[in-house]
Amino acid sequence: MNQLNNGFTIFLSLLVEAMPFLLLGVLFSSLLLFFVDERKLVEKMPQNPLLGALVGSMVGFLFPVCECGNVPVARRLLMQGVPTPVAVGFLLAAPTINPIVIWATWTAFRDQPEIVVLRVVFSLLIATIIGYVFSFQTDLQPIVQPAIARYLKFNPPPNPEQKRRGKSSTGKPAINTPNILRSGTYILGGRAGMTTRLDANQLPTSEPNLNTGKSKADKLRLVLDNSIQELRELGGVMILGSAIAAAIQVLAPRDLILSLGAGPITSILVMLVLAAVVSICSTVDSFFALSFASTFSSGSLLAFLVFGPMIDIKSVGLMLSMFKPKTIFYLFALAGQLTFLFTLFINLHVI
Amino acid sequence: MTKSQPQNKFLPWLDVLAIASWGVLMLKYWVTGKLNLLIHPNFFGLVFVCGIALIVIAFLKAKELWQRRRREITPNVQHVNFFAPGWGSSLLLISAILGIIITPQVFASDKALQRGVTELTNSRVQPQAFRASTRPEERSLVDWVRTLSVYPEPDGYTGQKVKVQGFVIHPPDMGKEYIFLARFVLTCCAADAYPVGLPVKLSESQERYTPDTWLEIEGKMVTETISGKRQLTIAASSLKKIPQPPNPYSY
Repeated sequence: MNQLNNGFTIFLSLLVEAMPFLLLGVLFSSLLLFFVDERKLVEKMPQNPLLGALVGSMVGFLFPVCECGNVPVARRLLMQGVPTPVAVGFLLAAPTINPIVIWATWTAFRDQPEIVVLRVVFSLLIATIIGYVFSFQTDLQPIVQPAIARYLKFNPPPNPEQKRRGKSSTGKPAINTPNILRSGTYILGGRAGMTTRLDANQLPTSEPNLNTGKSKADKLRLVLDNSIQELRELGGVMILGSAIAAAIQVLAPRDLILSLGAGPITSILVMLVLAAVVSICSTVDSFFALSFASTFSSGSLLAFLVFGPMIDIKSVGLMLSMFKPKTIFYLFALAGQLTFLFTLFINLHVI
Repeated sequence: MTKSQPQNKFLPWLDVLAIASWGVLMLKYWVTGKLNLLIHPNFFGLVFVCGIALIVIAFLKAKELWQRRRREITPNVQHVNFFAPGWGSSLLLISAILGIIITPQVFASDKALQRGVTELTNSRVQPQAFRASTRPEERSLVDWVRTLSVYPEPDGYTGQKVKVQGFVIHPPDMGKEYIFLARFVLTCCAADAYPVGLPVKLSESQERYTPDTWLEIEGKMVTETISGKRQLTIAASSLKKIPQPPNPYSY
């Protein structure tokens, strides 16, 4: 009984601590997605592959999205003709390189500031390296989904996906429902002034710009609806994640945790696997990692914090709308290996 | 579509309820002072603002739904990729209700033992500043452990006066003449609470209080060898039972 209450206390404390950050992330991303002009951003992207990958990784600072929001944005960037290294860098780094995530990490690891700094540095490094690696693939056809390849090749009318998916998109009325009554994340100022829905379940589609001339109240309603939607989805995942963290803390035999958590290699491997399995949102994952702080090596905590936002089982489905499975496998494998190497170095030589 | 119509009426209200319940839960912790048991005081303000914001969001949505109730209800597009519709809100609602019903508990000796007694004399937080004027008897238990982690030679403190508060732990491998006096330290939230403490040597006449009893102990520092390890130990001259402090954690 005592164990149960301890577990429940841990569970609740994780949630109470994480909720403000989740809310902030959700509100911030809902608001900023309206106000950042993506098209202007695209024009300014450098063509140099290494620089492009670095800049792409840092664009995340302007899009405080966690891993649920970054895939559609990366996909749009790619379709708007942004160089691949920029898009890949953004895809991998955006969930970590953003002000709210950095603040949350700082909150959780105040007494280990090196974790905060290294999380940012490693994420940037890994995203840039992988982005650079992808710059050698000049022909996009083998790595992206045929739909995008076609789109890029012929630049057909802005709505190829919707036609293809048509009725499969759960039969939602696409035209006759006013835009304002549909929830979701929207980007203004997309291709040719389109408003695009950043929907997680659907391929982003360009829609007639129903947003022009919309009143502030309507815009705010969109922000509200989108925030509620994300709170609901991410909140649910956060609750599951916190429950898992609390359960592991209370139920897992201490000897096992200690033996796994102390080994320089096993600890990293365990945390890499955990990062992939738990798939918790990056705004709150530092609190999850915190519950392992006393038993796991710093390197392995970093592995969780760096690799977690890059790999996300939830968003694999989304990524499949962008890349071929082979590409996603390469992305994850590269990210995993680089994270492993970097954090192993930390475990062996630094801390 | 026909099947999902009733859901479309119900689900938005479930969202409102779930978000409002979390707002209420966070404000409840704020009002009842139970936040002490969950998170570091630095974040109390954040929790308060978040609680208010959640309630405002729920209110705005409720207002909108209420005004729209007679018009045709448009399908609430789910962009669920992990949960079936309603799952996220249900989880939020259930956890908030549980949180409102069940009072969080102060961690006690069982938790400290589970975390490992070996860690008791290690503080993860280094002292940020030294005050030379600090008199030893004014150091708290956590101050002692932090000082010790910076200068870990037990003999350096021999003879210094001690007056500290904490709760009793009986580590299994410790002799009958010793107890551990401990406190939990929070750096962020209860998930990372870790115990710190010092062994206390009891003279023969002294009672070996049961675990979790809160004590104020006065005495002098000595060095003892406990389970094969030289350790800074409090030689207690007086043990006074005290009630559990309203804020049992250190930061």
